[in-house]
Amino acid sequence: MTDFPMPSDASRKPSKSSLLVADARTRKRNAAEKRFRAYGAGAIAIAMLALVILLTTIIGGGAGAFRQTYLSIPVALDAEVLDPKGNRDPAEMSKVLTLSYGRVLDAAVVEAVKANGIEIDGLTPKDMSGLISKEASAQLRNRVLADPELLGQTVDVNVLVNGRVDGYFKGRVTMESAAADGNTSPEQLKLANVLKEGGMLVTRFNWDFVTNPDASDQRPEAAGVGVAILGSLYMMLVVLFLAVPIGVAASIYLEEFAPKNRWTDIIEVNISNLAAVPSIVFGILGLAAFINFAGLPQSAPIVGGLVLTLMTLPTIIISTRAALKAVPPSIRDAALGVGASKMQSVFHHVLPLAMPGILTGTIIGLAQALGETAPLLLIGMVAFVREFPGAPLEGLFDPATALPVQIYNWTQRADPAFIERASGAIIVLLVFLLCMNVLAVILRRRFERRW
Amino acid sequence: MYDTNRLENAVGQDDIKISARKVQVFYGDKHAIKDVDVDIQDKTVTAFIGPSGCGKSTFLRCINRMNDTIPIARIEGDIKLDGEDIYDKRVDPVQLRARIGMVFQKPNPFPKSIYDNVAYGPRIHGLSRNRAELDEIVERSLRGAALWNEVKDRLQEPGTGLSGGQQQRLCIARAVATSPEVLLMDEPCSALDPIATGQVEELIEQLRQEFSVVIVTHSMQQAARVSQKTAFFHLGNLVEYGDTDDIFTKPQDSRTEAYISGRIG
Repeated sequence: MTDFPMPSDASRKPSKSSLLVADARTRKRNAAEKRFRAYGAGAIAIAMLALVILLTTIIGGGAGAFRQTYLSIPVALDAEVLDPKGNRDPAEMSKVLTLSYGRVLDAAVVEAVKANGIEIDGLTPKDMSGLISKEASAQLRNRVLADPELLGQTVDVNVLVNGRVDGYFKGRVTMESAAADGNTSPEQLKLANVLKEGGMLVTRFNWDFVTNPDASDQRPEAAGVGVAILGSLYMMLVVLFLAVPIGVAASIYLEEFAPKNRWTDIIEVNISNLAAVPSIVFGILGLAAFINFAGLPQSAPIVGGLVLTLMTLPTIIISTRAALKAVPPSIRDAALGVGASKMQSVFHHVLPLAMPGILTGTIIGLAQALGETAPLLLIGMVAFVREFPGAPLEGLFDPATALPVQIYNWTQRADPAFIERASGAIIVLLVFLLCMNVLAVILRRRFERRW
Repeated sequence: MYDTNRLENAVGQDDIKISARKVQVFYGDKHAIKDVDVDIQDKTVTAFIGPSGCGKSTFLRCINRMNDTIPIARIEGDIKLDGEDIYDKRVDPVQLRARIGMVFQKPNPFPKSIYDNVAYGPRIHGLSRNRAELDEIVERSLRGAALWNEVKDRLQEPGTGLSGGQQQRLCIARAVATSPEVLLMDEPCSALDPIATGQVEELIEQLRQEFSVVIVTHSMQQAARVSQKTAFFHLGNLVEYGDTDDIFTKPQDSRTEAYISGRIG
């Protein structure tokens, strides 16, 4: 002990320095705190940046899908061609193929070009007829079949323009790329320019994108998400009516009534594991159980809804149980203490208190299901569906597709116009998710205010 | 003060409301209550005192079978309410709890209005035929809990918005609204300030006119103030049970004496 130099009295005590000067230890702690805050702010900044990039990419790429170029021209509906028998019988007229209407339209474009005195060097008839979408002839045919009296008259039609020409006005197609493209030509684009100046070509808001069904590879300009929205909606209905009651009832039973023993432990572990099962596995299960075994139709929203129900159940059960667990036990004691039965205590007191949490979990589960793609591919929802499904309940068994699958489907196609469509569909999907989240917040507020 | 109590005790001596014989409680392997024999008289305040973890709350919760909600709890022996075994297979604990009300340690009003808090018990037991009758029960219960004057103008406001003492009296009103025969109170004043404690103690004195009250308390002074009978629990045993002033003035057991003089506990 004596070997050690005895520290002087002053150095043994914490040195009495000025409060106005931070000592080394304090500076170090403050620096650590500052660093931590900087990390946090940095992380949030990166996240915000990513979000901004995501939104600008999607909106930049997809906003075009909501605007479409249309051509208004007078069309002479030649009765000789469109009603060869001349008796205006819709049954007879429906034997005339869409192809003939195409020729009528082609002639109308040539006529319109001539009538307006447009002259462009090297403009071929193919350039002129190729200006309008292949979908246009089908639309004209439907219109004439609905109203045979139009035959023989010259009517003003408003038809979709070819995707390339539409892309030219959206900046996707240029004169240079058109020169190398077999489906369009610089002359066609020049013609489009002239028509636009003449007010016959108009680019305007396109509701058809939201209401139209999908279209084939050659006519991206006509493709829409109508069937996909309806299919997704039907599936959400199935999930809502199956997963929510089953999930909430299961969690109430497990949390409040079930005896705590080895069996319930096993069930609990299994539910947690199910939440982590890759969604495509649920697709295989759905294919095996609902389509191959139960014999339900392929591509049907009912099957998609059932598969998504299986997938959503663990999420709902886990969040509902967490919400029930968060209700203080004193409330249960209070209810039991005045002589409420177990069920009364749960339904009168515990469940209302857990409601905000249950709703949040449920809507998160539904949103997850809305965005799910993989399991739907396996049960045939990826099919090309142009027919709208009927009204529920029969409609649940009609073929349909779903929004995320439609997006996936469009990104697979060759024509770059479909990239725009896919981004547009992503915007629609995000709007739906946003609405669901807003609904969740509103419901939560409402239920919380009651107490 | 104690003299009058003893006089009343002498009058009601035969009215045994609850009789417990050889009650054992196990929490898993832990033997929490050992061989408790006790007779609780009608229209009397009985206090259970003892150090923490001695089993007094556990025993209290046996009386209205609240321990049923704890899966690992196991109860042996018999507890009789008016001569009927409450642990008989045919007894529905729900019916039992309507006759034996309970007030808990922490005020736990339902997150509903003051009115609904009190009306909940009568509603689920169907004690009223119409709204007017229910209103009457609520008013009577709130008056009984000495809360009516403070809340009569805001019956529709949430019960959780009251002060701690008011909340506890609301819980008492809720418990008496079902017209129980016995009222169990598990440290009802431990979360309250001295003024609120005083109000609740006064209330207990009034409640004794109608019910048999069993109160668990940590405070020996409180036991001495409010009760006519006192039971001292220690390590799961009922060490001594008798008239309150006997327990406090001439305890028979050395452990009781050690506890009330502050040497253990």
